[in-house]
Amino acid sequence: MLVVEELTKRYGKLTAVDNLSFIVEEGSIFGFVGPNGAGKTTTMRILATLLAPNSGRAWIAGEEVTDNPRRVRQLMGYMPDFFGVYDDLKVGEYLDFYGASYGIPAAQRRRIADDLLELVDLAHKREAYVDSLSRGMKQRLCLARSLVHDPLLLLLDEPASGLDPRARFEMRELLKELQHMGKTIIISSHILPELAEMCTHVGIIEAGQLVANGTIDEITHLVQSGMALEIKVLERGQEARDILENHFGLTGIDGSENHFQVPFGGDEEDLSRILTALVGSGIPVVSFAESTNNLEDIFMQVTRGVVQ
Amino acid sequence: MIKRGLVLNPVLGKEFRSRMRTWKSPLVVSVYLGILALIAVGYYWTRQTSMVYSGFGPDVGPQMYVALAIFQLLLVSFVTPAFTAGVISGERERQTLDLLTCTRLSSASIVLNKLLASISYIVLLIVASLPVFGVVYFFGGVLLQEIGQAFVVYLMTALTFGAIGVFCSSIFRRTQVSVVVTYIIVFFFLVGTVALGVFLANMNMRAGDYSIPTITYLNPVVALCSTFPGQFQGGLPSLFGMFGIGGRYGRMSGSMADMEAGLAPWQYNFIGDGIIVVVLLIITIIIITPVGRFGGIKRLFRRKKTTETETDTVDIS
Repeated sequence: MLVVEELTKRYGKLTAVDNLSFIVEEGSIFGFVGPNGAGKTTTMRILATLLAPNSGRAWIAGEEVTDNPRRVRQLMGYMPDFFGVYDDLKVGEYLDFYGASYGIPAAQRRRIADDLLELVDLAHKREAYVDSLSRGMKQRLCLARSLVHDPLLLLLDEPASGLDPRARFEMRELLKELQHMGKTIIISSHILPELAEMCTHVGIIEAGQLVANGTIDEITHLVQSGMALEIKVLERGQEARDILENHFGLTGIDGSENHFQVPFGGDEEDLSRILTALVGSGIPVVSFAESTNNLEDIFMQVTRGVVQ
Repeated sequence: MIKRGLVLNPVLGKEFRSRMRTWKSPLVVSVYLGILALIAVGYYWTRQTSMVYSGFGPDVGPQMYVALAIFQLLLVSFVTPAFTAGVISGERERQTLDLLTCTRLSSASIVLNKLLASISYIVLLIVASLPVFGVVYFFGGVLLQEIGQAFVVYLMTALTFGAIGVFCSSIFRRTQVSVVVTYIIVFFFLVGTVALGVFLANMNMRAGDYSIPTITYLNPVVALCSTFPGQFQGGLPSLFGMFGIGGRYGRMSGSMADMEAGLAPWQYNFIGDGIIVVVLLIITIIIITPVGRFGGIKRLFRRKKTTETETDTVDIS
């Protein structure tokens, strides 16, 4: 559905997007994650035909975004990280206006607006002024707007930013519903866990470059191959450290005397042998566990190197 | 095909809807007509109470018409920037320009319909003023053709100042800045063109050239004066005469007698304004087009600029 090939965008001396390449399969929800200023919005804007790249190309359903912007706009729905609403229009009029802007005949627009308002649970607000909607409602209305021309691909730039937990939940449910409807969705966020539940694939971007890309499981596995072992003992911490270093060749132990972490790349048998050695030496082990990386840890781990 | 042609452009439709649903629109029309009516009534009252001109003379109609016509032009000049200088920057401030650009509407369609929507409102003001101008017909002395020509000047002035407003709103991010710059440019058209014309005429006169500088024809007041009834038409040469340029009117080319062979000032103004409008609109369309054909032109300029900068850097180092 989407192919991005060596995309580069520079603003003066700053390279916002640096040789970025990735592919998004049809029907998937692709989480585009990265810290603030990583180049997510710039990439989104290039894909939305709002910004021309310095070099590189991108295709949406086979149409190149710079060469055929008008055709791409018909295939893609864009929801920026701001509301972008006309306060002096009513909710129904707002959708009708964008429907007309996409060339949808007047006879169909009313039905489409009704369906979309039903989908985003705003049917009861049809005659309300956009100005009177809550933040979450405006966000849902913007999502409805991006769907007005029934696009194949949705580009959602930080759709959950600034929303309260309930509104976030509602937005998440909506996106799942859209996936069931067969839409391909690219959703950006600087919070990885926020995307974990709904994304099928994740791309982590930092300093304009993709530092990790794959399914959630693949990325977790990638990071966990360099996971840590967290050990807490009641006493004789130094003795435990010596065993780990001398008997198992583990280095890079970090932490306090009796509570420390050590980088570990072995399997479960190795874990068992280490624990047996520690207990066999009479060291009072309080806890012994692989440090379970949550998505936030993964994000920090993946992006740390580039930042430093 | 015919049915499709009748469909209102969405930008135009939205602008009409947004503009006409608030109380501001009828208020502006009322105030506008109120001011014009005051001019008409004020002139007549002054004339009736004047020690010199009391009574009903044949010049009442033309004089009232000239007063109304000039005030209408100043009102149009004053109102147009207010309606147009925020059309693109306002979309940017509301963060809706990107969303609009993302649709199937072309940049040309967005710019032209935004301008058309604003100008339509000015046309409404001008049309609404017709009954006030109708009062002149109680007194006579003004031809329908002359009023028609004056209204062409109004429309062209509104279009030109409108295009300047739209252009400024596309290059300045903030509406306030755009409005201020537009009013400065409008002021230049109203006053600066004549001042510059007088200066250039003075320079030319020393070289024995008594023609009126071309820039003067961009002045809408000059254009309007050339549409006035016969006794008021010497506007341009007499204006220059005021500054001691050209000596007697007869020495200045550009008097109405000279114009008989060629075009009248309002026609020159029409052509000049037309060129300005077309050029400004094309530039505005290029400015707001992110990618595609016009975006390509923009990138070409940027690339050239970047290359020049890079060359400079190499030279310096």
